[in-house]
Amino acid sequence: MKNDWLKIYLVSIFGYALIAFSVNAQTIVIKNATIYDGLNNSPFVGNILIDQNKIKKISTSNFQADLVIDASDKIVTPGFIATDTQIGIVEIGALSVTRDDSSNMYKIGFSIFNGFNPNSTLIPWNRSNGITSAITLPNNTSSPIGGLGSFFVLDSKLDVTGTSDMVMIGEFGGSSSKSRAEQFSMIEDLLVLASSLSKSDINSDLELSSLIDEWAISNAMDLHPRDLRALYKLVNENLPLIIKSHRASDLLKLIELKEKFNLNIVIMGAQEASLVTAKLAEHNIPLIFDPMNNIPESFDELASNIQMASKLEEAGIQMMFTVSRSHNYHLIRQGAGVAVANGLSYGAAIRSLTSTPAKVFGIEDRGAIESGKIADLIIWEADPLEPSSMPEYVFINGENIDLTTRSSRLRDRYTKKLDKPVIYRD
Amino acid sequence: MTNQLKITLCCTFLFFSSINVLQCKPFESTYQPLPAEKILITNASIYDGDGNEFKNTDVLVQDGKIIAIGEDLPVPEDFRIIDATGKWVTPGIIDIHSHMGVYPAPGVRTSSDGNEATSPVTADVWAEHSMWVQDPQYALALTGGVTAFHVLPGSANLIGGRGVTVKNLQRTTINSMKFPDAPHSLKMACGENPKRVYGNRGQAPSTRMGNAAGYRKSWIQAEGYLRKITEYEKKSEEAKELEYAPRRDLEMETLAGVLKGEILVHNHCYRADEMATMIDIAKEFNYKITAFHHGVEAYKIADLLADNGICGALWADWWGFKHEAYDMVQANIAIVDQARNGKGCAIVHSDDAIGIQHLNQEASKSLAAGRRAGFDISEARAMKWITSNPAKAAGIYDQTGSLQVGKNADIVVWSKNPFSVYALAEKVFIDGAMAYNRGTDLLPASDFDIGIISPTKNRTQE
Repeated sequence: MKNDWLKIYLVSIFGYALIAFSVNAQTIVIKNATIYDGLNNSPFVGNILIDQNKIKKISTSNFQADLVIDASDKIVTPGFIATDTQIGIVEIGALSVTRDDSSNMYKIGFSIFNGFNPNSTLIPWNRSNGITSAITLPNNTSSPIGGLGSFFVLDSKLDVTGTSDMVMIGEFGGSSSKSRAEQFSMIEDLLVLASSLSKSDINSDLELSSLIDEWAISNAMDLHPRDLRALYKLVNENLPLIIKSHRASDLLKLIELKEKFNLNIVIMGAQEASLVTAKLAEHNIPLIFDPMNNIPESFDELASNIQMASKLEEAGIQMMFTVSRSHNYHLIRQGAGVAVANGLSYGAAIRSLTSTPAKVFGIEDRGAIESGKIADLIIWEADPLEPSSMPEYVFINGENIDLTTRSSRLRDRYTKKLDKPVIYRD
Repeated sequence: MTNQLKITLCCTFLFFSSINVLQCKPFESTYQPLPAEKILITNASIYDGDGNEFKNTDVLVQDGKIIAIGEDLPVPEDFRIIDATGKWVTPGIIDIHSHMGVYPAPGVRTSSDGNEATSPVTADVWAEHSMWVQDPQYALALTGGVTAFHVLPGSANLIGGRGVTVKNLQRTTINSMKFPDAPHSLKMACGENPKRVYGNRGQAPSTRMGNAAGYRKSWIQAEGYLRKITEYEKKSEEAKELEYAPRRDLEMETLAGVLKGEILVHNHCYRADEMATMIDIAKEFNYKITAFHHGVEAYKIADLLADNGICGALWADWWGFKHEAYDMVQANIAIVDQARNGKGCAIVHSDDAIGIQHLNQEASKSLAAGRRAGFDISEARAMKWITSNPAKAAGIYDQTGSLQVGKNADIVVWSKNPFSVYALAEKVFIDGAMAYNRGTDLLPASDFDIGIISPTKNRTQE
C-alpha cells in the first residue's frame, strides 16, 4: 500500500519518525456528512478527508481512505472550543488538595500551565460531550488584572499539546471589596508601569526587582519579576485580557482602557452588555457569557436578559459561551440552544462554539472544517444544540477518540451484568 | 368557605373566647387566585403528567379547574379559545427543590436567609419566614412554565427546618403565596455540609458518624415529646383542668409532626451508603422519608429507594463540586425511575434559579441518557419527573401536577415539544387564569424589577 511504502521510505530517511507516524498513519473519510463548518457558510453535504492530523480535503467527490465512516443524515461540526474553564486544574471543587488554580505568591504572572493534569476526569467527560480543546484559567488573584491562562488540546496525552500563558484575566466591578474607582486606578497604574518596560528590562530579574521598588504601584502590591514580565507581555504582545465585568458603566470604562493602552480586551460575564451594544461593537470587543443566565445575581447585573445573544448578534459583536461549572462545560451547547430559542441564528450559535474562540484567541489552526485545519471534528447523533444529543464520533488531532468515561463505566456497572457482585463487574 | 373568610372567622372567634377550643392556626395560606377565565384549549398535543400522551385534544377550563379533556369538545359560548394546533400542553411544572425567596437575587448577604447555620438542629425555623416575596426570580421561573415550587432551608444543618410549597404567583405577603392545604416539609441534610460547617467550629458533628448520632438524638427527644403530648391529650377534660398543658416547643412540634406523618421529610443526601443509613434511621424511629434530594449516587441503590417508596429528586448532570458528588451518571434519574420494573419515583429538581426555568430540558437530557443506558422510557413518562412526581412529593398531587378533570387548571402551552431545547413556554395558567403570555406585556414584575435601571421601565423590559 502506498502508505506503507511511504512509511518505510520515511523511516529509512528519518528513522525516529516511525512511532509517531504509525500511530496516526491512516486516512479517514467522513462520508455524506451535513457539514456545519463553523465559518459563515450555510450547511452543506460533503465528504471530509482526514490525513494524519489534518483535514486534507472537503468535497462532494469520493475519496479512498483506510477508514470510511458513513455520516449520512448526521451533522458534523468542528470540535467545540471552551474558553473559560478550570479543566485540568480543579478536579473536585470543594477539595482544595485537588485544586491548582490559585497562588499567594504571584499576582499577575501566575501561570497554571505547569499544574495541568491531562488525566483529569473532566477531560474525557467534556470530550465525549463535544469539547475538544479548552482555555484553562486561574482563579482571580488579589490584583484587578493578573493570572495567566493556557490553551490545551483535550486528548489526555501526558505529553501535553497546548499554548502556555496565551491569555491574562482580570476583574472589574462590584464583586471586589475595593471601590471600582480604586480598581480602575490600580489597573491604570499597572498599565502605565507595563508600558514603561523595555525588552532589556524583562530579561533581567535584578533590573525588574529594582523597578518594582521604584514604582509605587508595584511596591504597594508587592509584585515579583514574573508579574512584571506578564504585564510586559500584555501590552507588547497583544495578549488577550479576559476581564470579568458586568455593569454597563463599567463596560464603557473598559472600552476607555482598551483605547488608552491599546489592549486586546475580551469581556466576560457582561450581563449588561445589551445596554451598550453599539459601543462594544464599535470598539470590536468580543464577549464571553452564559446565555442561560438571566438572573440579576448582583447589583452589577440588573439588565441580565435571556435575549442578550440575539441582541449582540444584531449589533455584530463576536460572542462565546460559558457555564458556571467546568465539570459540565459542554453545557455551552445547551446554552447555545437556549440562545437560538430566544432569537440567535443557528449559524452564529455554532460559530460562537468554534471559529469565534479560534479567531479571538489566535488558535487559528482549529475551530473550522476547512482544508489545512487540524482535524478536531464531531459527528453528532442529532442536532448538537439539543442537549439530549451526543457525539457519535470525536476526532482530536485526526485521531478517533474512545468515548468511554468514568461516568459511562459507573453507569454500566450498575445496569449491566447484574448477576455478578458489583465489585467484579466491569 | 374562602380562605379569607376562614381566617376572619377563626380570628374573630378567638378574640371573643378565652378558651382554646378552636385554635386559630397562624401562617395559614390566604392565597387567592387571579380572576379565573373560561378557556378552551383546542387541538393540542398533550403530555398529561400521569404518563399519557394525547394528540388533537382539547382542554376545557372553568372556575380555575379542568372540567373536561377530550377530542373535539363542543365549543361552549363565551369561552376564550386558545388554538394549540402544533403546540404542546402539559401540567404546570413543579420544582421540588428551590431556594428562591430564601436565597433571592441579587445574592447579597442582607437577604441570604436560607441557612440558620448557628446550630446543627434547627427544626424550629420555617423557610416561609425567610422568603422575600419580591424576589425577581419567581417571574423568571414562570417564563419556564413553573406554577408551583417547594422552598427548603439550606443544607448546613442536620435538621434545617420546615420547607413550604408556594404558588408561583408573586404576592405582597408570603401567606398569600402559600399553596392551600399543602403540608409542611422537613429539610434534613447528610454528608459533607453539616460536618464541614460545624466541624470547622470544633463542635459536633465533624464526621458522618457524628451526623448520624445527631439525627438519632433529635428523634429520641421528639419521641419523648410526642409521648408527653399524646398522654396529655388522652386525659379527660377534668384531668386536663388540674394541670398545665405541656409547654410548647417549636423544635419538637416540627419533629413530632414528622413522627405523626403530617410533615414530609425531604433529605439532602448524595452518597448511596448514607442514604441507606438514613433509611435505617427512619425505620428506627418509624417515620417516612419522602424524597432524597441531589442523590448523585441514587442509581447505586435504586431498588432500595423503590422498595421503600422514596423518591429521588435529582439533577440531570451536576457533579464534581464536592467529593460526594463525584460519581455522576447521567442516567441516574432514569435508573431510579425504572427500578423494580418502573416502580421507582424519579424527580428532576433544580436547586437553581436558572435550572428551574429549564426543567423540561433537564428532563430531556435525563430521558436521552436513560434511553442510551437501554431503558425504554416514553416522553410522556419522563414528563412525570417534573409534574406529578414532584406534586406527590410536595403533597399537592390531589390538587395539581397532572391534567385531570377536577384538578386545578395549572397548565402550560409550549411552542414545541417541551423535550426540545427550542420549546418555549408561551402561555402559563395558574388556577385557570393566565399568569404569563409570551410576547405580550403579561409578565409579572416584582417591586424590585421596576424603575431600577431606568425610572420609567421595568428591569426585564426593552
